[in-house]
Amino acid sequence: MKILVIGASAAGISAIKSMREMDQDAQITMISKEKNIHSRCMLHHCLSGHRSQESIDFAGSNFCADQSVNWLKGVAVAGIDPQKKMVMLEDGQKLTFDKLLIATGAAYFIPPVPGLREAKNVFGFRDLADVKKIDALLKADSRVVIIGSGLVGMDVASALNERGIKNTVVEMMPNILPMQLDQPSARVYQTLFEKNGSDFLLSEKVVELKLDENKIGTSLMLESGKSLEADLVIVAAGVRPQTDFLEGSGIVCDRGIVVDDKMQTSQPDIYAAGDVTGLSGIWPNAMKQGRVAAQNILGQAVSYEDRYAIKNTINFYGCPTLSLGKISPDEDTKVCLQEDRNTYQKILIKNQMIEGLILQGNLDHVGFWQELIKNKVVVDEDTVFDIKYSDFYAVNEKNGSFEVAI
Amino acid sequence: MKRIMIDREKCDGCLNCTIACISAHQEGSNFYTADLTGKTADSRNKIYFKEKEGYFPIFCRHCDEPECVMSCMSGALSKDSISGLVNYDADKCGSCLMCVMNCPYGVMKPDQTNTKMIKCDFCQDLTEGPSCVKACPKEAITVQEV
Repeated sequence: MKILVIGASAAGISAIKSMREMDQDAQITMISKEKNIHSRCMLHHCLSGHRSQESIDFAGSNFCADQSVNWLKGVAVAGIDPQKKMVMLEDGQKLTFDKLLIATGAAYFIPPVPGLREAKNVFGFRDLADVKKIDALLKADSRVVIIGSGLVGMDVASALNERGIKNTVVEMMPNILPMQLDQPSARVYQTLFEKNGSDFLLSEKVVELKLDENKIGTSLMLESGKSLEADLVIVAAGVRPQTDFLEGSGIVCDRGIVVDDKMQTSQPDIYAAGDVTGLSGIWPNAMKQGRVAAQNILGQAVSYEDRYAIKNTINFYGCPTLSLGKISPDEDTKVCLQEDRNTYQKILIKNQMIEGLILQGNLDHVGFWQELIKNKVVVDEDTVFDIKYSDFYAVNEKNGSFEVAI
Repeated sequence: MKRIMIDREKCDGCLNCTIACISAHQEGSNFYTADLTGKTADSRNKIYFKEKEGYFPIFCRHCDEPECVMSCMSGALSKDSISGLVNYDADKCGSCLMCVMNCPYGVMKPDQTNTKMIKCDFCQDLTEGPSCVKACPKEAITVQEV
């Protein structure tokens, strides 16, 4: 069987590893724009200088040899013809397939703010090429402005702080990491970042980037009337599924590629997994989608069931946080709080069920919490902070595996 | 593969397994000299106690479909196809803590600096097998082929 995989990140690599576990003979070809397999979540370690390009290769240096994969690198896909079962590459090559997996991920989005899209010194932060472009322009006295204080924006800020490069983070919301944190937990990180060199402009919106005659952005104009000098602007304002090359293919997209619970697209024998589906934007889910797609490609009927995706961990300057579910309470939400000098814990309960939580400072043994949200477990607000996995402890007598007894 | 099988009824909460684990991961220490309060006093196992219900021994299962490996964005966690063990390469680890978030049984935890993970290694460097199992006086934990 001839299998093509487009994309060399979490979903694609996970799919290939899974396929090889099940089938030693399939002919697998991987196609990617990137020339190096690398973990997007570790790009900031490259920018900071802590890690080499090779050391953020999450697949292992012998991946292609170990998995017997033919890798066409540094080439983009121009189009797909589902009827002919053919993938057309930008360099003119045409490849046929029996089964195809699209795992092209997402690309950063530059908002349509005057100046931002035209400027030569504005970058996203999504792959190694971005790191290299930014690194080539950075000087010890560069003034960098980061637009957006989500996880990517803060990763960049932490890397710049390690290099002692001045950076200012502009955020529309009143606190940083607004998708994951509330005001008190965000304040903890803001203070840590400020101590390490970052400045913040919160509840601020960029309305224009002024350009010089060479299309180099020089100063950012903010809605409040303030302006901000910048030598480099890094935009961390979200991503969009990479589906441009599917136009006219008949593969149905609705923001991302639409898939069924077998990860199959609207076209038979064509599957999609990872950020390109728009189902989630986090690593574990992309890996699992890749695995489920692989299983179905090889004829096992497996459904993608573990869809919970509102989960994240944050770890900066030695302070860890787990954020799950909905973190802003409604009127009838019960907010349970517990804090001491080093930890902050907030659990939101609605109709006796946990809707979301923020645990900051200590993440020992916290993995079971998402199971309680996923499975809508009824909890008692007076004792919610005492809950442990032992309350749901179950051991499979046959093979000794753990289960969550809910 | 081999797994540490747990017989909860036999556990009397002595925590010998916990001390043995800490000691096994402090080079040169033994049961009497292990540092049980310092920055490396981390056990890979955990025993919970509940009034009337007794002890709940939590040991890494080296799962068949390990959620921690699925969540690892650095490649530090991997399941060995031959031994079946879930191995952790601290040098590769990116300290993102997604594995801690994703273990449904809350087995994993960060070390005390929040830069590396505390993860059962099955004491693969010791010929006599996992130190916790060796230290259990009740045979509540035993290594078995599954």
